[in-house]
Amino acid sequence: MDVLTHTQQFLAIAWWLALGVSVLLYIALDGADLGAGIFSLFVKDHDEKGAIMGAMAGTWDANETWLIVAGGILFGTFPFVYGSAFSYLMIPLALVLWGIMSRAVALEFHHLASPKWQRFSEWVFGLASLAVTFFGGMSVGAALQGFELDKPAVGVPHYVGGAFNFMSAFSVWTGIAACIAMTLSGVLFVRARFEKAEPIRQDAARWTAAIFWLAIASVLVTVVWSAAIFDWARAKWFGSHFWIWGLFGIVALICIDQVRRDTLKDKDLAAILWFNAAALILGVGMLFTMFPWLVPNTWTIWAGASPQVSMITFTMTMGGFLPVMIMYNWYQIWVFRGRVSKLVAYAGH
Amino acid sequence: MDGEALTSLITRIDFALISSLHILFPPLTIGLAALLLVSEALWLKTGKESWYRLCRFFEKLFIVNFGAGVATGVTMEMAFGILYGRFSQAAGPFFGQVLGYETITAFMYEAGFIGLMIFGWGKISRGMHLFATFNVAVSSTLSAMWILVANSWMQTPTGVEYRNGIFYVTDWLAALFNPNAIAAFPHMMLASFELSLCFVIAVCAWFVLRRRHVALFLTPLKYALAVLVVVAAAQIWLGDVLGEQTLESKPAALAAMEGHYNTNHPDGSVDTDWQIIGWPNAKGDGLAWSISVPHLLSVIETKTWNGPVTGLNSFPADQQPPVVLPFYSFRVMAAAGGAILLLALWGVWLRMRGKFTVDLAPTHKIFLAACVGVVALPYLAVVAGWWTREIGRQPWIVYGLMRTEDGMSAMSLGLAIFWLVGFAFFEICVIAGTFWFLLKVVRLGPDLETPIAGEGHEHLGELHVPASGHAEQPEYLRPV
Ligand code: HDD
Ligand code: HEM
Ligand code: HEM
Repeated sequence: MDVLTHTQQFLAIAWWLALGVSVLLYIALDGADLGAGIFSLFVKDHDEKGAIMGAMAGTWDANETWLIVAGGILFGTFPFVYGSAFSYLMIPLALVLWGIMSRAVALEFHHLASPKWQRFSEWVFGLASLAVTFFGGMSVGAALQGFELDKPAVGVPHYVGGAFNFMSAFSVWTGIAACIAMTLSGVLFVRARFEKAEPIRQDAARWTAAIFWLAIASVLVTVVWSAAIFDWARAKWFGSHFWIWGLFGIVALICIDQVRRDTLKDKDLAAILWFNAAALILGVGMLFTMFPWLVPNTWTIWAGASPQVSMITFTMTMGGFLPVMIMYNWYQIWVFRGRVSKLVAYAGH
Repeated sequence: MDGEALTSLITRIDFALISSLHILFPPLTIGLAALLLVSEALWLKTGKESWYRLCRFFEKLFIVNFGAGVATGVTMEMAFGILYGRFSQAAGPFFGQVLGYETITAFMYEAGFIGLMIFGWGKISRGMHLFATFNVAVSSTLSAMWILVANSWMQTPTGVEYRNGIFYVTDWLAALFNPNAIAAFPHMMLASFELSLCFVIAVCAWFVLRRRHVALFLTPLKYALAVLVVVAAAQIWLGDVLGEQTLESKPAALAAMEGHYNTNHPDGSVDTDWQIIGWPNAKGDGLAWSISVPHLLSVIETKTWNGPVTGLNSFPADQQPPVVLPFYSFRVMAAAGGAILLLALWGVWLRMRGKFTVDLAPTHKIFLAACVGVVALPYLAVVAGWWTREIGRQPWIVYGLMRTEDGMSAMSLGLAIFWLVGFAFFEICVIAGTFWFLLKVVRLGPDLETPIAGEGHEHLGELHVPASGHAEQPEYLRPV
């Protein structure tokens, strides 16, 4: 395969960062919706369940689009990775996909359905949120482990392993860890979006207090486990710049701690922002730990990039479309910032 | 059939199913968004409440359809990587780039406004809302443009060089503006408008037929029928243009579509017959029987009385597409196009005779029933059109350059079945749900009571428990 020019190598890195940003934005925005969905499984009151769905009615589609953008960047700029990683992750991605489909349909149809089917769609919504989170987390864990490629004399390497190679104790764990982290994000979202007097906010506060510790524990387990099984992670974390990585970790822990403090003080928005800061730091930390691998031990950023990356398309996207879109997204979230009561379940939200 | 061939067959059926089920929804999104924009603009301009009520009513139908479009669309995006991994890698530099561009310039763009359009009533100003609707219409059109550019490039892959298993783009403009895209994108856009007009006509006609809100629904019915005359006629013309393009760039596909096996008759004279219907013989090198019209094929394709059209037998056997499906799906599409035009003409004729009044219109029961039934035709035509196109391209995935079997992912038989069964199940649930809720929204009819949405500030309404009856069901008003 061809070697990229210097400009192209630089562009590949820039696209890689854009990919990371989309994934992190997806986790920050849709993560809260998914987590609220998981939380809704444990909510007994039918109106409250419906209201959780109503609270995200205006924004969930836009939030989910960041995942599609990430997929688009992957296909557009790293087609070799897209074509092979999707073969490797065929099963977990199929399950994520079924979750996404069911969730979209449950959300769109909920307010039109008769009471019996409303209950059904609430369950579908909750379970689908759980499935997307778990299998999404599992796919990330599996990707960190890398996969086998063939080595053709000419042409692009393809995935050659079996369909179940993604299964491992580690990937199951990352699935569970994702559920814990997203549930935390979800309860924070519920606290921020419901009117102060609603009882569901008190439930959510109790949840925050408990899941908070689970979240810290799962971050630590993930880090220790990664260090134990991934040589590329060990090399960076215990190398000569170990203090940088240590700093990343400490700042992340401080952010998570702030989440708890702000929740106790009823500062809901601040709690969400601290949570996102923690997720951002951990995510960026992981991206840089992997560098220069896009998929560890499988595809480097440059080998996976399209030989066709060009300055023109990159500039148009980054300089033009993305900033404008982020602006409109922000406006949209702002329009729908008002708190809701559980009675929105009655309105055609 | 050995395991590998069976796996490959299942994978292909799976992809065909996934794309056929997706294409049911986007056309209505694209066309209805534009019609919603028109009715909202008319409301703001004339101040007539009826346009507002219509807009809100059709918007509910729009949302149901949109949800299904998203659910099946995300499937498409993943299906390429999963089912056609090798093709995705090879064509990624062009095809992936175009689809990636679509997600950013169309989906992201659309997602930024759709929430405002649907849930922003009463929260943002009317001008801002109109702006949101406008952007939804523009962005869904952009989406169709990118997809058609990508798909048309698979039909006429210009501007690239295929080397070492990768398509290198040598000329971006030639690849983007490939010859097929220039006719196919407008044809798809018109199909979207035609479908949406038929949809609106069917819904309006149903209400008029039932004598519910006759005055409200008669106006859009009248306008939509008039516009449909123009759109349906233009679509037939554009279809013909696209057919000529196909003859030029994919002659084997055109030959299959027309069931045209031999360029010349055995006696050396040009075979100019256009088959109305027919069936291939067992050997697959000619028609066992057919009903045909002499000279029509030459007239349609070459615009001359005796112009030769390349027959299927001029291509090696391993480069011939299947015949039966493209042949019949093409006829279904063309017949649907003709029937829609006839219905539109019927409507305009009734209108010119002054039958479109609140008293007279509901008495034209047969016409109204035909209007309700017509909605099936554009859906049939859209699916049939895509089948003509995609199956006509076979055995190539990128015409003339890459064969379909070389583009597939390596998959086991079990997995292929897992995908097919899983998706068939989920997507059929999506379609059944969509259909059910569309019917339900129509049955419930438009909401004529809720006050017209105000501007700018969130109004959460009051909670008042009705004096008697169902006290446990509080009534809660919130402009939605
Ligand atoms: C309302 C829908 C509709 C209607 C009434 C028609 N078409 Fe169509 N047709 C489509 C919707 C469509 C489509 C689904 O949108 C396709 C598939 C891909 C595309 O670009 O347009 C298509 C494809 C398509 C192709 C395939 C081109 C290829 O292989 O690349 C041809 C030759 C025609 N059309 C021709 C016609 C003719 C001659 C029609 C009328 C007499 C006609 N279409 C009516
Ligand atoms: C949306 C409407 C579409 C329909 C109904 C449709 C239908 C089909 C069908 C029936 C096949 C199977 C042909 C065969 O195997 O004999 C097929 C194959 C294919 N189509 Fe489409 N298609 C659609 C759109 C698209 C679009 C927009 C693209 C690309 C942008 C696309 C790309 C492909 C590819 C890659 C194949 C694989 C070839 C194969 O399986 O034979 N399709 N499609
Ligand atoms: C002729 C073929 C196609 C047209 C005209 C079309 C157009 C559209 C439009 C307008 C939407 C907006 C939502 C809706 O329809 O309700 C949509 C959704 C979607 N389509 Fe298609 N599409 C086509 C084929 C494809 C293909 C081949 C792909 C795969 C790459 C695809 C991927 C998607 C995705 C991912 C969504 C959901 C996006 C969202 O969240 O808004 N579509 N499509």
